[in-house]
Amino acid sequence: MGLSSLNAYSGGLFSLIYSAGPVAKAVMLILLIFSITSWAIMFVKLRQYGRTEREGERFFHAAREADSFKKLITIYRESPDNSFYRLILACYKEITKRQKENNPEIKPETVPIIENAMKITISEESTRLERRLSFLATTANASPFIGLFGTVWGIMDSFREIGVRGTTSLAVVAPGISEALIATAMGLAAAIPAVLAYNYFSGRLKRIISRMENASLYLVNLIGK
Amino acid sequence: MREEAWYKMLIISCAIHVFAIAAFSIPFKKSSKRLDVLSSYSVNLVGQLGGGTGAAGAEQAPKSVPEKPAPAAPARVKKTAPIKKPAKEEVSLSKKKVPVREKTTKEELSRLEERIRDMKKKADYLDVSKTKTAGAGGQGGTGAGAPGLPFGSEGGGRPLDPATQKYILDIWDKVKSAWGVPGMTYKKDLETIVIIRIRKDGRIVDINVEKRSGNRIYDESILRVLRAVDPLPPIPPSLNMDSIELGFRFLPGDLS
Repeated sequence: MGLSSLNAYSGGLFSLIYSAGPVAKAVMLILLIFSITSWAIMFVKLRQYGRTEREGERFFHAAREADSFKKLITIYRESPDNSFYRLILACYKEITKRQKENNPEIKPETVPIIENAMKITISEESTRLERRLSFLATTANASPFIGLFGTVWGIMDSFREIGVRGTTSLAVVAPGISEALIATAMGLAAAIPAVLAYNYFSGRLKRIISRMENASLYLVNLIGK
Repeated sequence: MREEAWYKMLIISCAIHVFAIAAFSIPFKKSSKRLDVLSSYSVNLVGQLGGGTGAAGAEQAPKSVPEKPAPAAPARVKKTAPIKKPAKEEVSLSKKKVPVREKTTKEELSRLEERIRDMKKKADYLDVSKTKTAGAGGQGGTGAGAPGLPFGSEGGGRPLDPATQKYILDIWDKVKSAWGVPGMTYKKDLETIVIIRIRKDGRIVDINVEKRSGNRIYDESILRVLRAVDPLPPIPPSLNMDSIELGFRFLPGDLS
């Protein structure tokens, strides 16, 4: 029945995608993959950053309670693997290394070495926290263009069809353009959450890193005690 | 980040996308119903008798075709009104439904018979449509600029009055007899749906390809035929219509 062919324009999003041309379909598939991956990254980062921030709170709380580095170490002994734990671990390793060579006292000249060790840790941690965040930026920047490509291709196609059909009535042109515009809509749908998430997470990452730097200074102070 | 958590999030993200696409598909479907109402309803030609018609909401239909006069208004099954008993399902014979409703049981009986005949026709049509061609005609010149669905078969049957049927069949015969591409044989699965609008004097004012077969030569031959037959027989004055919109389905089986 003729209706089956016409349903393409009234069946909803799914049938609109289904009735699109091969190029538009490929574009939409790429966009779907981009969108799925970026959302997965968002969830992963939300959890990761939330946990790291909680650990930061815990660290400062513990550091305030502990009046010496040794006490802090005992608090953190059974701590799970996280950024602040690694910071203390780096500091601790450096101290124990120096202590073996010399006496239990920490010499003032070893402090810059400890500081450097902690800086390295912070930089490694920030790289680890930043991982995959750049994909969000890529999605935010690229997916509107990918969608636009699909749209331009679709409109090119529909204009060619107008030429073939010889009719220029809106009813002939509109379905093709409507189909083509789906690609841009999907590109924007993938890009907008990615932009928002990227800005949000980069702000949050900045805060986490500054907290870690503060923590390293705190540790240096604590060592002297 | 541990990899297992990464995969878990990926699966969650996939699920969200599937839900989002499903959710977006539902409102689209609802809005499309309104489109059906706007489009002019059409009539099926198969089996020489009007079969399924796209009376998508009988109440809205007259609004979209305001100039449609009484003689051209065929019996219409009122679908929107809540009908309690199937036996009481009413087929109004004209736009003035209220007086018709108050008729005696004898007339009700005749109306019921008519309804049964409609349903039989529809069944007949369903059989034939697989093998035979269908030219479907929709009437209603206004149509809000949108071409009517050529084969609106929403369920409610709206038989055409014999004069319109005869006119549509005449046109279809004329088009069919003129159509033919010598030396060409086509695959059976080609199908082209064309909607034409005919003015009162028989001139084709608009040719609209609703569905292309994918074969350019085939489609072009149809358009050529429609241009060749252009001054079609004028719309009989008895129909009292300014313009008529007809949908034709061209299948290779019709090639003369």
